[in-house]
Amino acid sequence: MADLDTTLRELAQRFEAAIAAARDEHALDEVRIRFLGRTGELTVVRRGIGALPPAERPTAGKVINVAADAMEARLAAARASLERASIDASLSDSIDVTFSGPPARRGMLHPVRAVMADVAHYFSQHGFAIVLGPEIETDANNFDALNIPPDHPAREGFDSFYLRPDLLLRTHTSPMQVRAMRASGPPIAVIVPGKAYRRDAVDARHLYQFHQVEGLMVGPGIHFGHLKGLLTGMMRELFGPAQDIRFRPSFFPFTEPSAEVDVSCPGCGGAGCRTCSGSGWIEIGGSGMVHPNVLRSVGYDPDGVTGWAFGCGLERIAMKKYDVNDIREFVENKPAFLEQLA
Amino acid sequence: MRVPLAWLRDYVDLPADVDSLVARLATLGFPVETVETRPLISGVVAGTIVGLEKHPNADRLQICTLDVGDPQPLTIATAATNVARDQIVPVARVGAQLPQLKIEPRKMRGVDSQGMLCSAEELGLPAEWFEDGIMQLDAATPNGTDVGDAFGLLLPVLDVEITANRADALSMLGIARELAAAFGVALRLPPTKAAGTGGPGQSDVRVSLESIDVRRYIAQRVSGLSVRRAPAALRIRLALAGQRPISNLVDVSNFVMLEVGQPLHFFDFEKIGGKHIIVRDARSHERLTTLDGTERELDPTALLIADEEQATGLAGLMGGLISEVSESTREIVIESANFAGPRIRRMSVKLGLRSEASTRNEKNLPPALTDLGAARAAYLLEREGGLAAPAHAYGKPIETPPEIELGASDVQRLLGFAVAPPEIERALGGLGFTLRLLPGGDGDARYAVRVPPWRSDVSIAADLVEELARIIGYDRVRAELPPTPPQTLNSTAFEREMAIAHALAGLGYAECMTLALQPQSVAESWRSPGIDVPAPVEIRNPLSEDQRYMRFSLLPALLEQAARERALRPLRTFEIGHVFADAPDAPIETNLVTLLYLAKPPADQPAWRDAAFIEAGSDARALVRAITGIDARLERATKAGLHPGKTARILAGDVAVGFVGTLDPRLLRAHEINDGAAAAIIEIDALPPRAVRPYVPASKYPAIERDLAIILDPAVAAADVSATVRAASVLVRNVVVFDEYRGPQIGADKKSLAVRITLGRPDATLTDADADAVTAQIVEALRAAHGARLRG
Repeated sequence: MADLDTTLRELAQRFEAAIAAARDEHALDEVRIRFLGRTGELTVVRRGIGALPPAERPTAGKVINVAADAMEARLAAARASLERASIDASLSDSIDVTFSGPPARRGMLHPVRAVMADVAHYFSQHGFAIVLGPEIETDANNFDALNIPPDHPAREGFDSFYLRPDLLLRTHTSPMQVRAMRASGPPIAVIVPGKAYRRDAVDARHLYQFHQVEGLMVGPGIHFGHLKGLLTGMMRELFGPAQDIRFRPSFFPFTEPSAEVDVSCPGCGGAGCRTCSGSGWIEIGGSGMVHPNVLRSVGYDPDGVTGWAFGCGLERIAMKKYDVNDIREFVENKPAFLEQLA
Repeated sequence: MRVPLAWLRDYVDLPADVDSLVARLATLGFPVETVETRPLISGVVAGTIVGLEKHPNADRLQICTLDVGDPQPLTIATAATNVARDQIVPVARVGAQLPQLKIEPRKMRGVDSQGMLCSAEELGLPAEWFEDGIMQLDAATPNGTDVGDAFGLLLPVLDVEITANRADALSMLGIARELAAAFGVALRLPPTKAAGTGGPGQSDVRVSLESIDVRRYIAQRVSGLSVRRAPAALRIRLALAGQRPISNLVDVSNFVMLEVGQPLHFFDFEKIGGKHIIVRDARSHERLTTLDGTERELDPTALLIADEEQATGLAGLMGGLISEVSESTREIVIESANFAGPRIRRMSVKLGLRSEASTRNEKNLPPALTDLGAARAAYLLEREGGLAAPAHAYGKPIETPPEIELGASDVQRLLGFAVAPPEIERALGGLGFTLRLLPGGDGDARYAVRVPPWRSDVSIAADLVEELARIIGYDRVRAELPPTPPQTLNSTAFEREMAIAHALAGLGYAECMTLALQPQSVAESWRSPGIDVPAPVEIRNPLSEDQRYMRFSLLPALLEQAARERALRPLRTFEIGHVFADAPDAPIETNLVTLLYLAKPPADQPAWRDAAFIEAGSDARALVRAITGIDARLERATKAGLHPGKTARILAGDVAVGFVGTLDPRLLRAHEINDGAAAAIIEIDALPPRAVRPYVPASKYPAIERDLAIILDPAVAAADVSATVRAASVLVRNVVVFDEYRGPQIGADKKSLAVRITLGRPDATLTDADADAVTAQIVEALRAAHGARLRG
């Protein structure tokens, strides 16, 4: 037994030396093979048990097993310590983080869509449905049902592109009021974003094709105060919490009473600047209480329900929001424009 | 409409602060577009020339002695040639401030000159609209009168916008009435000649109305006139309002139109053939030379004023040269007529003729205005020395305007807040409405409201609520949030568009919005190299040839933009928008999303592979997956605008939703694009709704992957190989064809595909032996179906 102890002690010393000398995982593997492998030093000692007297064999086995376990534990510890050292060493590595490599993909929404999304988001929160409609309309929907009969002077204001005698490119999103009300009885609350077309010469302030957003709410007890409440909320969503709105009387055949909607100038906050020609207000759209004739044209009862509608130009809102001076930018799609605004 | 503030003040006392006036007009519904401030003039007074003699030392100068109301007369040297004794002229005294100069005492050729006589231009008026030389003031002007003040030269001129429904407000009196009501002050009506009565006398004209489009016609003869310069006050009013003074008669007619809003026409009585005025439709090819000197050929859509011999004027638009008032006119007939607005508008559009008269007449003026117009003109013409005979009215009598029932509850119902009955009465009363309180009403004050004759735009209770809102101000409306109603309509279509835009933006695509009208050349650039285009949708009344057709594809505009941004590669853009194709019933409108990918092709790209296609195809499938939840498949197809051999139909399940393909090289050439380009065109409404199937847990048992390299005919599609593999065994969990190779190693007429097959059992761990057996089965299936053999 004393011999075995001596042998194991010497073996342990050699093992320790080998571990200390091992500088990487591979070297640790070799240490393991040298001592614990099939022909390893400890394995050879273990095989020697058979030569011992039977009475000593169990004790010798135990002693050898203890030594083997100790070696395995020592190896695992050494391995862990090597790993730690390697990670610690990698912590001092450094790269040039400012080197960007290939350019990142830069996708974006068009600024008009971004404004459209903001408006829709606001009204969705208030229970409105956002609906879409065709750009080719009948003149019955575009005009007649909206209380603009054929010889009405207001038709002149909507210079229209005609496709056939009774078909035109919608001059506003308002015909969707008619379509929506015909599709759904009251109460109704819808927002309609979309393109509209007017026979306007293109310049810094006009495009013959532009986007509008239409709002319509009809039901029992709906009044002008609700329009003011929601439009104020919408403008604050778009322009910030300090935004104010005001109504100015105006004329639209499909609303009565009618009002222009002005927002306090985002450029100066209402003090007066070049953007608002000194007035402190910017005209952003039209609105009013839906005319009884319009309600009748879609089969609603003007004595039973009331409602309001509004329409705003989305490019116009975007121009004010982003301080764009030329409306043509919105259809030119120059990268510098799109990348800045989205 | 130009509104000189001084003119308004003839009828209403207004606050001095112009800004608050402008703000109030805006809140009344009459936004002021510009405020034209007048040049500063001070120290200019009216003076009578009491003495005139030649300058002793200068042939060109005269020395005037002027009585300007001071004890001592002024001596002023002038070079003007139109001065004479007893004239009353504007005198700028020493110290006076004129737009261009300040007057100082000076010697003119040895004579002390104590000021300057002023021309119209020196008073800030357009020189070409007034007499040469010194401005002539009216005989009644007292000496010493401050000219700037008395003639309204100092107050600004407002450019007021008037909405189409307010024909009655297209006048000084109309605007003054609004302001009087708004500020709660009295309106002073201008003096008129009381209407005479009696049938047509022997010396009068007869009038025949032969068209229903003339609703009322007042003819009134005025004799004893002489044509001369109108009084300075009237001429200055007109000039500030933007109307050129001509002569006293023409000026009176323009003055009354601007003042009360009723267009007038004066006929020279002598020139009326048969002393018979006939309002009738023009005959085909009938000719008339209008006051602007243009000879016009007419047709029966034109409404004429004629006499027994010929046409003498275009009704409501412009008089004819033939009946024009001239220097020798001594007697006239005032025409104060009311026409059907639409008829006048159609004439105006057709003849390309617009005038101050037509802009008013086309708006359905109130018929009652004719009486006021004639009476006011008669008054002013008598001041010019004329003698007015009784007016004779033809056509419809003035109808009593309707009464409208209005309850205080109607106001609350529409505006959302209560307005007290006295306030309703005050506001509407100020605008000329008369209110009669109806009995009963059950706690609601109800009125019968009589509309004033000039307000033909007001016909229902809601109109009255608007009138009320204008006067009391929309600022009183309280902002409230409405109750949320239950909705039957939904936002699906919009939300889908938004989801598409967000998904593509996330994939690196930039959203564009392009113009939907285009010239014929766009379709031509497709058609001429042989690419199909759908039947064009044509605009009947385009503004220019550049905008004659509706777009049939979103590609041309995206390609044009890509061509412009040559330096940006790779370029990823998309547009969501409608495209149009004509059809017998109605044009077809389709909502598309089109994405475009452009990049320089890789240097080693073989003819049988297309990097741009792979990129666009992968993004298109990612898009379909994002929107529908379905992994889209591709199958070979063709689509106009895309390469005939490099195009696939995109299938979401069994639904064809669009196409992806390399751009047709003929199209790229037309746009001078040399890069690799591919596009996907997806019909948004075809995308199936997002459907999520119930969850199937992944197998707990591990899978085994096997890669096969097979050689087969190049015509066999990867998708067919995948399908064959899937069909070969139920143990196939997934198949991906992940590489393709063609080249000399495998022979010119073959291709090699690398296929990764994932195998597994749902109920147990697959053994290697099982996997080998299934793989053999698959290889055999591929051989049988496609003649494929294993490579190597």
